[in-house]
Amino acid sequence: MAALCRGRHRWKRIHSLFVLTRNLSGKYDYDLVVIGGGSGGLACSKEAAQLGQKVAVLDYVEPSVKGTKWGLGGTCVNVGCIPKKLMHQAALLGTAVKDAKKFGWQIPGPVCHDWATMADAVQNHVRSLNWGHRVQLQDKKVKYLNVKGSLVDEHTVKGLTKAGKEMVVTAKNIVIATGGRPKYPTNIPGAMEHGITSDDIFWLKKSPGKTLVVGASYVALECAGFLTGIGLDTTVMVRSIALRGFDQQMAGLVTDYMETYGTKIAWKCFPKRVDKLSSGALQVTWIDTQTGSEYKDTYDTVLWAVGRAPETKALGLDKLGVQVNKETGKIVLGADESTSMPNIYAFGDIGEGRPELTPTAIKAGKLLAHRLVGQSTEIMNYDNVPTTVFTPLEYGCVGLSEEEAEKRHGKDGIEVYHAFYKPLEFTVSERNSSQCYIKVVCERDGGQKILGLHLTGPNAGEVTQGFALGFQCGATYSHLLQTVGIHPTCAEEVVKVHITKRSGLDATVTGC
Amino acid sequence: MLHVALNSSLTFCFLMSSLQMAHRLLIRRIWTLSTKDIRCLPTSTATIASSSFSTSLQSAQSRVFFLSPSRSLPRSLPHTFSRTVSFNVQDHEDFTERVINNELPVLIDFHAQWCGPCKILGPRLEKAVAKQKGRVAMAKVDIDDHTDLAIEYGVSAVPTVIAMRGGDVVDHFVGIKDDDELDSFVSKVIGQ
Repeated sequence: MAALCRGRHRWKRIHSLFVLTRNLSGKYDYDLVVIGGGSGGLACSKEAAQLGQKVAVLDYVEPSVKGTKWGLGGTCVNVGCIPKKLMHQAALLGTAVKDAKKFGWQIPGPVCHDWATMADAVQNHVRSLNWGHRVQLQDKKVKYLNVKGSLVDEHTVKGLTKAGKEMVVTAKNIVIATGGRPKYPTNIPGAMEHGITSDDIFWLKKSPGKTLVVGASYVALECAGFLTGIGLDTTVMVRSIALRGFDQQMAGLVTDYMETYGTKIAWKCFPKRVDKLSSGALQVTWIDTQTGSEYKDTYDTVLWAVGRAPETKALGLDKLGVQVNKETGKIVLGADESTSMPNIYAFGDIGEGRPELTPTAIKAGKLLAHRLVGQSTEIMNYDNVPTTVFTPLEYGCVGLSEEEAEKRHGKDGIEVYHAFYKPLEFTVSERNSSQCYIKVVCERDGGQKILGLHLTGPNAGEVTQGFALGFQCGATYSHLLQTVGIHPTCAEEVVKVHITKRSGLDATVTGC
Repeated sequence: MLHVALNSSLTFCFLMSSLQMAHRLLIRRIWTLSTKDIRCLPTSTATIASSSFSTSLQSAQSRVFFLSPSRSLPRSLPHTFSRTVSFNVQDHEDFTERVINNELPVLIDFHAQWCGPCKILGPRLEKAVAKQKGRVAMAKVDIDDHTDLAIEYGVSAVPTVIAMRGGDVVDHFVGIKDDDELDSFVSKVIGQ
């Protein structure tokens, strides 16, 4: 009898050991689980699946404070790049209609804008993209789980459905690409109850009306820009400087244009409180730091654009020892997107020191997939990333700002070529072009390698993309001089630039 | 593969391979067979099995499974949905009840509110169905509200119309058709 019992205990021990080893030797549900179905997460998961991996992607949208939610695709598709650019286009068309009269178009009366028509069209396009992404995942054989993912251990992810049901998946590798969400100010009474963020603005069914945009990031300026463009009374409240991190001379040109365009800018002001009046309007009390006085005004909408916070709280990172930057909350990453835990990776907006851009997230995701499969060792190159701010006067740039170039090479080590130009299209329509400007920051010696290219003007995004290729190839000022311009365009002014800042000469150039 | 431009905007247009479609048809076939059994039809399971697997190649694109015309379903439905011309599918259960288990052939109109061509096809389809005076039903599925159902049926581009008889997919098309094409499509679905 004793022998039998002993035998049974031994079997139990062996059995549990067997189970333990079986799990360790890696029969996981998936080769890769990606948490986050945005630009980065989708690119990574689809690429990995194409390379033969068994992949699942978890995407979940926690509704905004105001209750706004959206489908698959992440920030860019739903509450970022896509709706932003479409609304920017709506605003530009409003200006174009005004210009049209000078070009001979017989437009009977004042042209008004209907928010509902625009919002409907934009929202419908976004929904078609949600569907498109869903179909792509299906086609590429990526398992899609609409659950809120969190880490249990380095191979296990817990998912919570909207209904609160729990499920668990195991994976050989885990990738975190959960991105970020807009921040609400924490010390302003009424901010959360009465204000909205960029998560909400694109999904409003009714016009936001008279709007106060608090913040001076590109999100704030782009939103304020298109709101002004569609005819709304818009004010931007800037605490210190605009477009922090960008070339400040260019930032000044952008905001100057916005002011002539009709956007009111409350410089060096910050809001103190937001109250809702019986009429339903919002009363904002703010301080002007230059005078020290307090002011009040009423608005229909207050849009907070005071920064974005990474979506890391609900992931359970601290429990696992995944290192996070204490200040920013972003995940600390190696150059290969690895975290402090061996088989957990992260990239995109969630990564510390990474640009918060869709194209870099997509590229980084694809390269990561290739590395995880063991097919390559190529890491993402985050240098020379071009970008554009889609304010009413667009600002495109690639490379270093003038300040950064000066810091690295010294004021005497750089040569800045610049020009104020007038787009041909602005002439007949009698539009103000005083902020249309090009700046090419080069090394002073040798071949004069281009360190940074900056330009403001119509379609700056389209123009900058082409020059980014040259930049990537190590273009120098002499290359620029050797390039023949296309006439008549705004872009040709870039290859014609010849006046240096150092010379002190008037940089205004004329066409032909 | 046919590439139908369905929307002037940047809607994705993906068409599944017919092989995938056939695979899904087979899965659907097996699934609906078991559903029928649960509903306890008076006819024997053997009869269902034999008649259902008589096939004929309707088109080069997909294998079509259909019931022989002489066979009728003596099951009496507790509701009179068979008389309703068109309805919006509410959920998976509703789909099972009113589409899969419908004694009439059903045209399922997979559409989306963001799809321009769907807004054109919808009324045309209703007109074609109405002409048949109750011999065919029409179920409308909004793919944003019922994404899983749409994915299950292999819908990629919209509008997609799937014709079902006795729970089996008998025909389908993607994109817009004109009134004549729709009339002949509907007649074909009812006819056999």
